[in-house]
Amino acid sequence: MQVGSGAVAAARLAAEKKDPRARRITAILVAPGTIWMILFLVVPMLMMVYVSFWTQKTFTIEPTLTVRSWVAFFSSETYFGALLRTIKIWLIVLAATFFVGYPTALFIGLFIKNKTIQTIVLVLCVVPFWTSFLIRVLAWRPMLGKEGAVNIVLQKIGVISQPIEVLLFTEFSVVIGMTQIYVVFMVGPIAFMLSRIDPSLIEAARDLGASTWRIFRTIIFPLSLPGVVVGAIFVSVMVLGEFATSGALSGRKVNLLGNIIVTQVGSLKWAFAAVVGVILTAVMAVVVAALLRLVDLKKEL
Amino acid sequence: MTAILDIQNVTKLYGNEVALDDLSVSLEANEYISLLGPSGSGKSTLLRVIAGFEKPDAGEIFLEGTSLVGIPAHKRGIGFVSQSFALFPHMSVFDNVAFGLRHREDEPVRDEGEITRRVNDMLALVGLVDLGDRGVNQISGGQKQRVALARTLVADPKIILLDEPLGALDANLRSRMRVELRRIRQQLGITFMHVTGNEQEALTMGDRVAVLDSGRLVQIADPDTVYNRPASARVARFLDCYNMFEGRCEDGDRFVAGGSSFPYLPAEDAQAGPGIYCVRFDKIRVAPASEASRPGEVGVRATFITSEYSGPSIMYFFEGQGSKVLEVEYHLSHRQPDEFSPGSEYALLWSPGDALVYF
Amino acid sequence: MENRPLLRSTLAIYTVLFIGFLYAPFVVLGILSFQSGPEGGPQFPIIEWSTYWYRHIFGLTPPSRVAPLPIGEALVRSMTLAFATMVTSTVLGTMTAQAFRRRFKGSGFVFYLVVLGMIVPGVLVGLGIALVANTLGIPRAWWGTAFVAHVLYTFPFAFLVMLAIFNRFDKTVEEAAWSLGVPPMRTFRKVTFPLIFPGVLSSMLFAFTLSYDEFPRTLFAAGADLTLPLAIYGTFAVEIHPNIFAFGVLTTLFSFSLLAVYGFLMALSVRSAKKVAIQEEIA
Repeated sequence: MQVGSGAVAAARLAAEKKDPRARRITAILVAPGTIWMILFLVVPMLMMVYVSFWTQKTFTIEPTLTVRSWVAFFSSETYFGALLRTIKIWLIVLAATFFVGYPTALFIGLFIKNKTIQTIVLVLCVVPFWTSFLIRVLAWRPMLGKEGAVNIVLQKIGVISQPIEVLLFTEFSVVIGMTQIYVVFMVGPIAFMLSRIDPSLIEAARDLGASTWRIFRTIIFPLSLPGVVVGAIFVSVMVLGEFATSGALSGRKVNLLGNIIVTQVGSLKWAFAAVVGVILTAVMAVVVAALLRLVDLKKEL
Repeated sequence: MTAILDIQNVTKLYGNEVALDDLSVSLEANEYISLLGPSGSGKSTLLRVIAGFEKPDAGEIFLEGTSLVGIPAHKRGIGFVSQSFALFPHMSVFDNVAFGLRHREDEPVRDEGEITRRVNDMLALVGLVDLGDRGVNQISGGQKQRVALARTLVADPKIILLDEPLGALDANLRSRMRVELRRIRQQLGITFMHVTGNEQEALTMGDRVAVLDSGRLVQIADPDTVYNRPASARVARFLDCYNMFEGRCEDGDRFVAGGSSFPYLPAEDAQAGPGIYCVRFDKIRVAPASEASRPGEVGVRATFITSEYSGPSIMYFFEGQGSKVLEVEYHLSHRQPDEFSPGSEYALLWSPGDALVYF
Repeated sequence: MENRPLLRSTLAIYTVLFIGFLYAPFVVLGILSFQSGPEGGPQFPIIEWSTYWYRHIFGLTPPSRVAPLPIGEALVRSMTLAFATMVTSTVLGTMTAQAFRRRFKGSGFVFYLVVLGMIVPGVLVGLGIALVANTLGIPRAWWGTAFVAHVLYTFPFAFLVMLAIFNRFDKTVEEAAWSLGVPPMRTFRKVTFPLIFPGVLSSMLFAFTLSYDEFPRTLFAAGADLTLPLAIYGTFAVEIHPNIFAFGVLTTLFSFSLLAVYGFLMALSVRSAKKVAIQEEIA
């Protein structure tokens, strides 16, 4: 039967309406997962919004509605500063993962023609994910410390005479750590999009006398853009919600919104933690929505 | 004759597309019916509706007088053999055939001895003795086809639906399986409904041939009738063995197409107006352009292009007026192939009695 | 682009450096895990190569000023939790993906709802669940609130894996089983499930590793009894010792052995399909 798949799908939808048994089975199959997500994800998120308006007592919270926690957040330089720092670190890490990851993605996606080798190189990039997340963060300490590997190597080859002390426990170490951990999420989607580019397109452009840079700018980069956006969404979502890397590699000097939540919960300031949580959610929603506006993913993928 | 399967006014929509359009047909017990139609004609949909994989939007289906509406596929007792064979890839040939006996809801067979006996009997019937232990990925396409058939037959269905069962086989195997299928069916006395898009297959296999077009049944008759008297111009075109001239009838017994005009034997419903004039490929005689037509013969002039030899017959291709390609078929069991010179003009002649005219 | 040898080799060298960047910390960590103890610190140079810190983890060294890692019970908890999460999320993922094989009203909503579970940052999920638990007076525990949060995270992965598997699944074998009189549930058990098993195995692997290593969601949701990552996190705050490096090497090895088990089972499930054929060849 040569009927359009859209027509078939529509007929299935129509059949579904008419067929109570099939509908019941679907409902039974979908219900547990849906209920789980609503009960344990949607309800808690709404609860967070609600609690952000509760009254914070010293060690307890009371369901008397107030905006005091909100006012406290925006009037405190520490907390508002954390918001700005979170955005700053996010932008830097986003740019770093893009610039560090793109050449590798370019090599994997465009220059390696053998699918098997392509897969092997990608797997090689993913292998570090098989170690514990915390260990991955921690591994940077002996790298960047005053007596760390980087300093030793730089001293050995005579680039520096004194060890650089600002490598660890600074914003720099946080950015380095996050870049290393999250760059793979940028490489994967971009390499995927690049590998789908028809080589004859590039050949044709070259035959027309286009320079390599021009080919990159007008063909390769635009076609890889959906991959960049997907990668950017991955990286953004993870970096914005970070607190462990910043905690472990900055010696608690770089406080992101995530770190604020952790400390506030630690001192039982639930209402305040909820405020920070809502702000973090809002920032993420704006970032993801903005990124999705750049490219129509449904059309491109 | 008793109808084993009665399909009444079945309609099936896919969105806005009509797959089956108020279709009615009934199958008799112990018959081989082939269902012929171009792709998109709804023939596979009809099979899926009967099997219970799809629900009709309107109409009723009766199996031995019992309505099948609302009965799920596994309770219908209708066998189904698909083009892809759909063998269970994780089971051996034996387990594939035994699957229905072991796991069906109604009267599952618990006695392994009986299962072994019945499966082996069936494997013997389809010619797969000693292959029971093989994995289904270790056998040839033709053998897979037989396993699919044995698996369906062993369940003892009242009727078996075959969806382009020979479509995935190569030409050689196809003709062997045609014979096999007919033999097996006759041996068991089960009704087979065989869907195909191949007119040759439909004509050789079926005791009756049902022709589907755009979701409607346009003809159901024995193969001879379908071949010699297609019910409509569309059926004739689909059979792919007729030269067709579009034109108009005048005076009730003359047909004008392009610059040619030929008489034909008026049918009872003859009328003046646009029509299609059809002459079968093998009813045409090729004569030198100079030769006068014999009495009672009509014809057109055409330029020879090329020929195509296929063993039992040979096809000659001519170009008539308006670049129209005309085909002539000689059955070589009765005659020697002729040599025509490309680019030369010949007369294509036939008897008006062999022509069919559709309005 | 292949005919740009300079560009090509530049990018190749860059990629090697890039992979070095990804691995360097582990190499350093691996080297330092063989630092001598208990006096050797978590930095270069290596005073003397030794397996002291590995023995330290298993309590095989005489007591020193460095406290042993609190991992014994935490390990058991994490394994139990990861196992329960694996089973639950694989069942949920398979069920939901099975439902998605036919179009239904609200499927778009359900899809995004499920995928949300892997997008929302862990710290927010943990906070939200802790808030709800506190309000309702439910005590937080690793086997309760943390388990719920873990499934929230791993179920979307299992769902997406199974969705991909079902996309390639040949529906005609199920129809064949029905037409043989076998009811849908039994068809699923005897035909569908064995055929989608590689996918099930993959989503189990995903779920187990993600849960075993889960940290941000667990932080607020686990309550008093800690899971392994929480126990490790606890040691961060104070001074770190090479024992944590040794532990990192061991968990990495554990993860790789999981991967090996997965590969083995995968090969086995592919083999079993051909087993009969192989016997045939031997005979």
